[in-house]
Amino acid sequence: MGKQINVALIGNPNTGKTSVFNALTGLNQKVGNYPGITVEKKEGVCKLPRGVKAHIIDLPGTYSLNASSLDENVVIELLLNKNDKDFPDVAVVVSDVENLKRNLLLFTQIKDLEIPTILVINMADRMAYKGISLDIDVLEKELNTKIALVSTRKKTGIDDLKNLITNFRDLPTQPCLNAREIDPDYFTRLQSAFPNQLLYKLWLVITQDVNFGNVSRKEVDALDDFKTKSKSDLKRLQQKETIKRYQFINNTLKKGQTIDLAAAKDLRIKLDRILTHKVWGYVVFFMILLLMFQAIYDWSSIPMDFIDGLFASMSEWTKDHLPQGQFTNLIAEGIIPGLGGIVIFIPQIAFLFLFISILEETGYMSRVVFLMDRIMRRFGLSGKSVVPLISGTACAIPAVMATRNIESWKERLITILVTPFTTCSARLPVYLIIISLVIPKGRFLGLGYQAMTLMLLYLIGFGAAIGAAYILNKVLKIKNRSFFVVEMPNYKLPLFKNVALTVIEKTKSFVFGAGKIILAISIILWFLASYGPGDDFNNAEAIVTSQYSKENLDTETLQQHIASYKLEHSFIGLTGRAIEPLIQPLGYDWKIGIAIVSSFAAREVFVGTLATIYSVGSDEEDTIKNRMAGEVNPILGTPLFNFASGISLLLFYAFAMQCMSTLAVVKRETNSWKWPTLQLAAMSSFAYIVALIAFQVLK
Amino acid sequence: MNTIIQNILVVTALVLAVAFLVKKFFWTKKASTKSCGKDDCGCH
Repeated sequence: MGKQINVALIGNPNTGKTSVFNALTGLNQKVGNYPGITVEKKEGVCKLPRGVKAHIIDLPGTYSLNASSLDENVVIELLLNKNDKDFPDVAVVVSDVENLKRNLLLFTQIKDLEIPTILVINMADRMAYKGISLDIDVLEKELNTKIALVSTRKKTGIDDLKNLITNFRDLPTQPCLNAREIDPDYFTRLQSAFPNQLLYKLWLVITQDVNFGNVSRKEVDALDDFKTKSKSDLKRLQQKETIKRYQFINNTLKKGQTIDLAAAKDLRIKLDRILTHKVWGYVVFFMILLLMFQAIYDWSSIPMDFIDGLFASMSEWTKDHLPQGQFTNLIAEGIIPGLGGIVIFIPQIAFLFLFISILEETGYMSRVVFLMDRIMRRFGLSGKSVVPLISGTACAIPAVMATRNIESWKERLITILVTPFTTCSARLPVYLIIISLVIPKGRFLGLGYQAMTLMLLYLIGFGAAIGAAYILNKVLKIKNRSFFVVEMPNYKLPLFKNVALTVIEKTKSFVFGAGKIILAISIILWFLASYGPGDDFNNAEAIVTSQYSKENLDTETLQQHIASYKLEHSFIGLTGRAIEPLIQPLGYDWKIGIAIVSSFAAREVFVGTLATIYSVGSDEEDTIKNRMAGEVNPILGTPLFNFASGISLLLFYAFAMQCMSTLAVVKRETNSWKWPTLQLAAMSSFAYIVALIAFQVLK
Repeated sequence: MNTIIQNILVVTALVLAVAFLVKKFFWTKKASTKSCGKDDCGCH
């Protein structure tokens, strides 16, 4: 056959849709955005029997086709538009065996669009545990479809699903509900006005205000002989539709599903009693955080040391084996140290995402959201703000976009403005290198000081976010509140494949997303540090040699003085010197100043920049950490990275709005330059003041 | 000769790096208005 078919994977959130997607596609998947909007688009390829290839799209989770968010709109627009290149040949609706009743609502709606639809009943391995038994033949007959009973955990049912997708042409397309039953008179008139259109599609066009084919809501409204109903009447009909659907689902499940409550063993209630407890819940969460940060430190030290040494050797090897010249210097002193500054953090980033992914997979993260909602409400944020704040630990950009499901504009705005305070993964490299330089390695009650400092920085970030929200809440005077509903999924053992894919995907996006920027900045910085204007730079050798002519220095020391003089009079040195008065009170020198300025592109650039600056002109093989540890404050004569300047830098990065991309996203989400400008000014000023106080008190 | 080639490579790398950053941070792509098929279905 050799044909490719489009398969849309649809389902309620928390039904294991992504696990089914991973099971079908393996590593043949890519993540992008839907054109023109920023909703994540996951697609992959699956090989089916008889040489058929399936192009699978994992659509955003939705509870029904009555869209209330941008994510849900994506699902409807794809299903209504036959001209879309991704329009599915077959829809696969994923449901959870424990929530079949609720999940079937979406199934019946999609089935009514007359798209060949397969029902996947996932998490089948939990049936015995929950006392559930299903009569698949009866359910298939009642729902007029084919069912795949799947357990992605036990890896069962996936082959059956592949066979069903391959034979999608045999699937019946009769609807579950005759739309006329909702309001016979109204729907008869609607059908007569558009005799060639599918009735349920027309209904969605009217109620969801989405267009398809050549029919739009405006056209429906414009028809003289067909008067559509008022908004409240349409809402009433929608409610009637939902009731009709649930009547159908109840009747179906009565025939095909039995639940023996006596057989159900519920560990969930017992666990929830502890994990969402108003005291123990927070204690457990705090302990988990402590263990997580300790493990990040303990487990990643060996691979990090290895990577650090490897990049230092690579620089040395490049200088020794490539022809001498400026391009070789660029590679050895600019590109390799710059990239080394980011690659070194792969182990810690991977461990961080490993833990986050495990917490999400087990269902614990939803409990954290629930716990945090209690705190949030006191600071004037809605529970829905918790999701952006927690996802901000990965990156502020998707976190700012995740605020779209907050209905109240003011609550949404506050969440957008405070989210960049949460510690994102880009801050991690900065924190880790500074902590390793200024915080001792000792332990207290088995927990390392360094790990505790890192955890403290995460808590400071979170505290700053809710503190800022409290102030904004008072200033902006929020009156309207949105309600907060969070679904508590069942506790599950994490699936290794899902965890591994998340870790790979997140680490890859961290390395490649930041890596390209760092590569480009490393090249520019190396150029700016290796060239300079005027006689001071061009005659550096002669000037330094005559300066030290009476001191009888050995060649190596003299070369170091020349390199240092050249760096100070290079383009970057002159720029650094110009901004030095501004940052000197914080305990930084001009090199740190350059790193702070360049890290405005992305925070993690800070380490790469320092690695590049310290490498220019240096012939020694050395690690980034050792180079930074060896830097001396020219005024005080003490190590540049000492406790006072280190804490000052950590606090500066904890609070400063050092991310160009986040500002761009805030501009797009608020549709104004006013908010990102205010955000930049407020966060940067606050960071500067706190860093200044910290250095002046601790020095 | 070697020096000239190395300098050319340095300048090329620099130009590419600057162009990449300009494109990344200052170049705004126009969002597609027709994303849903071959005909003008007006989908938004």
